[in-house]
Order: sequence, then structure tokens, then C-alpha cells
Amino acid sequence: MQTAKLLANLKDSLTEQWTQAVFASYPEKSLPFLKTQKDPFANPVASMIREAAAVLFDALAGQDMDVEKVKTALDRFVKIRAVQEFTPSQAVGVIYLLKPLLRKQLLPEMQKQLDAYLEVESRVDSLALLAFDMYMTDKERVAEIRVTEIRNQYAQLKRWAQHLNAQAPLGEFAGCGQS
Amino acid sequence: MAKLPTPQMLMASRPELPKESWLDTKPQFAPGSYCYSEKKETMELLHMPNPHDWDPSAEDWNLPENWEQILCDAFEERLEKHRSLKLFMDICVRCGACADKCHFFLGTNDPKNMPVLRAELLRSLYRRDHTMLGKLLGKKVGARSWDKQVVKELFYYAYQCTECRRCSLFCPYGIDTAEITAIVRELMHEVGLGTHWIMDPVKNCSFTGNHLGIKPHSFKEIVEMLADDCETVTGIRPKTPFNEKGHEILFITPSGDVFADPGIYTFMGYLLLFHELDLDYTFSTYASEGGNFGSFTTFNMAKKLNAKMYAEAERLGVKWILGGECGHMWRVVNQYMATYNGPSPANMVTPKSPITGTVFKNAAATKMVHITEFTADLIRHGKLNLDPSRNDHIITTFHDSCNPARAMGLLEEPRYILKHVCNHFVEMPENTIREQTFCCGAGSGLNTEEIMELRMRSGMPRGNALRYVQQKYGVNHMACVCAIDRATLPPLANYWAPGVNVSGLHELVANALVMKGEAKRTMDLRQEDLPNVDADEAEAEEGR
Ligand code: SF4
Ligand code: SF4
Repeated sequence: MQTAKLLANLKDSLTEQWTQAVFASYPEKSLPFLKTQKDPFANPVASMIREAAAVLFDALAGQDMDVEKVKTALDRFVKIRAVQEFTPSQAVGVIYLLKPLLRKQLLPEMQKQLDAYLEVESRVDSLALLAFDMYMTDKERVAEIRVTEIRNQYAQLKRWAQHLNAQAPLGEFAGCGQS
Repeated sequence: MAKLPTPQMLMASRPELPKESWLDTKPQFAPGSYCYSEKKETMELLHMPNPHDWDPSAEDWNLPENWEQILCDAFEERLEKHRSLKLFMDICVRCGACADKCHFFLGTNDPKNMPVLRAELLRSLYRRDHTMLGKLLGKKVGARSWDKQVVKELFYYAYQCTECRRCSLFCPYGIDTAEITAIVRELMHEVGLGTHWIMDPVKNCSFTGNHLGIKPHSFKEIVEMLADDCETVTGIRPKTPFNEKGHEILFITPSGDVFADPGIYTFMGYLLLFHELDLDYTFSTYASEGGNFGSFTTFNMAKKLNAKMYAEAERLGVKWILGGECGHMWRVVNQYMATYNGPSPANMVTPKSPITGTVFKNAAATKMVHITEFTADLIRHGKLNLDPSRNDHIITTFHDSCNPARAMGLLEEPRYILKHVCNHFVEMPENTIREQTFCCGAGSGLNTEEIMELRMRSGMPRGNALRYVQQKYGVNHMACVCAIDRATLPPLANYWAPGVNVSGLHELVANALVMKGEAKRTMDLRQEDLPNVDADEAEAEEGR
């Protein structure tokens, strides 16, 4: 309970600092835009990062968070990071950037309850692992989409080829004017 | 002793601010971010300048020896030819209004994907040779010289722009970055740099007609298979008139809809609609690709491919052309046809609907009517018997394709039709539709599978808006009026909003169309069960 209370006080500062840390993984020249435009459709990447920050924090605080709910809230964030030009560690490893923040802000307050503090840190690990699984699913989906797209582009040609094959014997006669 | 990097170094390693200015940073050709190069033979066949083998990821692009001279001359020639280009080079005040309007910027957050900087890549070269200040002060005023890295950079960013024109909507001067991209692509072609996914269809469209290069008799057979499918669903086999002279109308649509899933269902929609109207029309096998792949390369190639439409209209002696659901075909027709290939052949007249008598005065110059204008007019005059409840399992939204929306203002007709054939229609957020529509992320020849990751991020703003209405209103369908969209939106939806189906408008029209003498419909055009048909009824139907 104590932990939750302490964390609650840190909510705004932690989510904001983590959001800024993730922003910092984008080119410097794009930062002013990422930071200022608040419309979720005019600045979707920032909106995805902020949505992720909020759910990460709630999960960290150990509130009763259903895994599916966490996943849904992280989904857009992981999806965009999976298709931007990041290494896997950069893409979802940014979740670990919560640790230095926690160590700086929460740990000093919890010197007497190290066990409870370590539990919070372990939740960061769980969240990162969860995100890695989602990241892999997204990567696999992109690969699968590539294959499906090629198949769909020629769908009708393939049917036609099969149709011709099925008619091959007739086709020979057709050439002799007996069709 | 070597040290392991800290987690922070691994994860949030934005490199220290580059010492050099943005003009000097170089693009990385990472797999998934660039299109494959075109084969030398294809370029030779098409008489493109300086055909050669090259690989975008290689250090050396094997440019012709005098590449710099070629590019400088070509640029100068374009500046003289297109007054608009010179204007675009001169008048940008770098206000930044366009900067955050590009889906490539929103998806990549790469500053050079801000339209203003995309244009600046070329403008910096313009400054050196064509402005007094640039000549005198060089770098200090943002001028720079050509070098091979600059060529790579131009290529890289010219193929990270879908020429969608969203940015120009927000520019107080109306600077059209799409036109700048088009010029950069032209320049690249001068030194033999083109992409496979664009040039191969260009070759096929030039020599055979359709974009896959399927021979005319086979093309016809494939269309006949679609007519057979129509019969399976409706009990009526629509006619498939090809290359017949003396009809009133020539129908031209993208050939993608003859080959690709789900475009084929839109094509079946056309066949059924025309059959029901007993329309006096023909297809042409040579002008069987409305989509102008040439427009992704050079103005001359666009002109050459576009010429087929009038040539066939003349040969077949039709009065006017009805055009199918396509994006860039309509951009070309609406903006360039008159200057490219006009005036229209003498046998053509201002289009008049044979069913309603409506005269399409807006098409007086081109003699080409968009199918949604045609169908909306039919519905308005009560000429179609429609049962929208057949589409009751669908909660649809509408994606405004960039070209029809921004290049011809086709905003109301598709919506009017959609509302008459579907009972459940939901719009996506306001700043993502109509004139402000977000591109599918893969137009202008970028819908090739090797850049799927790039497409998933550049299409994200569209995918994100779709996902929003999916979660909020249960949207499970997105209609569109562009063949490229029918190819690019399914993967995009599959990634960002899985569970949303994509179709053309006329697939939905034909599903709702109650035809004279049709068998009871139990399936839609995809041969999936219709809602509201009880199982016994369906079985009885099958057993009949
Ligand atoms: S909005 Fe127009 S004038 Fe302003 S930076 Fe963009 S292109 Fe230049
Ligand atoms: S035309 Fe479209 S893709 Fe190109 S810069 Fe403008 S907004 Fe971006």
C-alpha cells in the first residue's frame, strides 16, 4: 500500500520523464513537434507514447492490472516502434528506461523497504518481456503480410492458371478445330 | 578492457547531435526502407536514358560518367519548362505550416520527411546555380553542390513521398511538394535510376496494355471467369464486351482489379451494374490499365501511357469514356489530360448518361466521367433497385483516396452512394478525411512488398484513425475508390486494425443491387454468406 502511495505522488513526474526519454530516441529536429502537438491524429506517435506511459505507470504501481488490458494499451506503441528504424533493444527496451528514473526518485524513499522496491523493478522486467513478445508478433505479422500481399496480387492469375491446367486435354483438341 | 555498453546507451542512443548541418547528414539504405532498382533491360526497352545495373544498398551506384552535367542540365531544362517549379523553388518562406502534415514525417519522425525539408533537398541545389545570393554566399544561405551522396539522398526521399499533396493543402502559397517530388524522380531517371515496381508495370502497360503484361486473349478469359463468378452469385451472367467497335461508351479501369484480391470484387460489381443497365459499352484490351504508372516516373511517360485512352476511344469510335475507381488515373485525367493528349478525338462528345439523360458538363473537356459520378446520378434519379440490408453485417467507414479527393474534389459522390447501399456508415476523425485525408502510405508506386515496414509506418496515420473508429464504433469495413488502396489498405488494416475488411465501392453497390431476374441472393460477391438469409432458405436455394 505504502509503495502505491509513494508512486502515486510520483505519477506525473515519472510518466513525463519517461515520455521525454522515449521522445529522445527520435531525431532532435523532430522533438519540438513531438512535444507540443497534442491532437492524437495530428501527432499519433506522441499520443501512442503517452498512452503507453500511462499504462506502464499503472502496472508498475501494482494496481490490479489485467495482462490483456496492459497489452491493449501498449499495442499501438509497440506496433509503431516495431516498424520504425530501431534495433529491437531500442524499440521496446525503452521500457527499461523506467529503472534509472525509479532509482533516482523512488529508491531513496524506500531504503527501508528494499523488497517492496525490488518488486516494483521486477514489474518493469515483466512489462518489458511482455512488450518483447508483442514486438515479435508484430514483426512476424509484417513478414506474413508481405507474403499474403504477393499472393493476393496474383490471386486471379493463379485461378486462371489452374483453370487452364484443368482444361489442358481439351485445349489440345481445340487447336485442331474440334472444340 | 572493453566495456559493455550501459542499457541506456543501447536503448536511447540518439547519436550526439551531428556536428554537420542537416544538409550534410546521409541517408542509410536499410532493408525495408528502399525499393529495388529496375533492370537494365527494361530501361533499355523503354528507351530510358542511361540504363545501367545498380543496387540502392551499394556504395557505388554506377552513375554515368558525366552525371553531374546531366543533372544540372536536366534541372535547368525543367525550370524553364515548368514555371510552377521555379515558383516553388523561389517562394517558400519556410513558415513550417506543411512540416507536420506529411504521413511520412508522422510515421518516421525523420525531419527530412517534413515536406519543407524534402523540397529543400532540391532547393539547396537550385540556390547554388540559380540565385545570386547562393552563388555568392554558398552554404551560408543554404546552397550546396551536387555530389553522389546528394543524388542518393534525393532518390531516398523522392521515394518516401507518395505525391499525395496533403502538405500543399496547408501551404499558404500552395506550394505543391508532390510536383517537386515528381521532378526529382524525373531527374533521377535522367541518370538511369528507377525502381522495379514502377518500371516493370510501365513496360507491361506500354507493350501489352495491362500492368502484368497478360496477353489480350488471356486477359479476356480472366475477365470471363469473373463473369462466371457473377453468375454463381446472382444467377445472371453479365456480358464482357471487348474491343468492339461502335458502342457509346469505352470503360477503362485499373487492371489491378482484374487480377488482385479484393479488387476483383469491385470489377465484378461493374460487370453486374452495366449488365443491369444494359449499358452500351466495351472494354479495350490495350487501354485496359487506367492507372498511369508513367506518372510515377516522368511527364513524358505519363503522357505516353495516357495517350492510349484517347487512341482506343478513337479506334473503337465511342462517344465518351467511363472510368472506374482509380486514384492517380483521375489525377492525370483531371490535371494533365488536356495538355498531354488533348483535344479529345473528333468522335467524342460531352458525356451524357444514357439512363438518366444527365449531361456531365464537368467532363466537357476530357470526355471522361468517374464511375461514382455516374452511379450517384443513377441513384439520385431512382434508377437502381437497392437493398442496403444485404450489407447489414457491415459497419463501414470511407477512405478518401488522395488523388480523387485532393486532385478532383470527389468527396460527396462516393459518400452519397455508400449511404444508399449500406445502412451503417461512420466517418473517421475530421482531420483525417476529405481534403485532409491521410494517404494509404504506399501510393505513387510505393506499394511494393520489399518496403512493407516503411509502408506500415507511413500508413500509420491512416491506420491509426481507422483503429480509432474500429474501437469506438465497431467499424469492420473500409470502402475506397482506388485500386492501389484496395491493394495497400488490407495489409495496413491487418497491421493497425486487424479485423477490418477493405473493398471498393462498387462491390458494395453490386451486393445491394436487386437485379431483374436474379436468383435469390444468399452470398455476397466474395461468395460469403449474406446476413438475414435463414439457413433453410439458403439450402433450399442450393438444392434447386
Ligand atoms: S507551408 Fe509552404 S511556404 Fe511554408 S514551409 Fe511549407 S512549402 Fe514553404
Ligand atoms: S505530397 Fe504527401 S507524401 Fe509528399 S511531402 Fe507532401 S504530404 Fe508528404
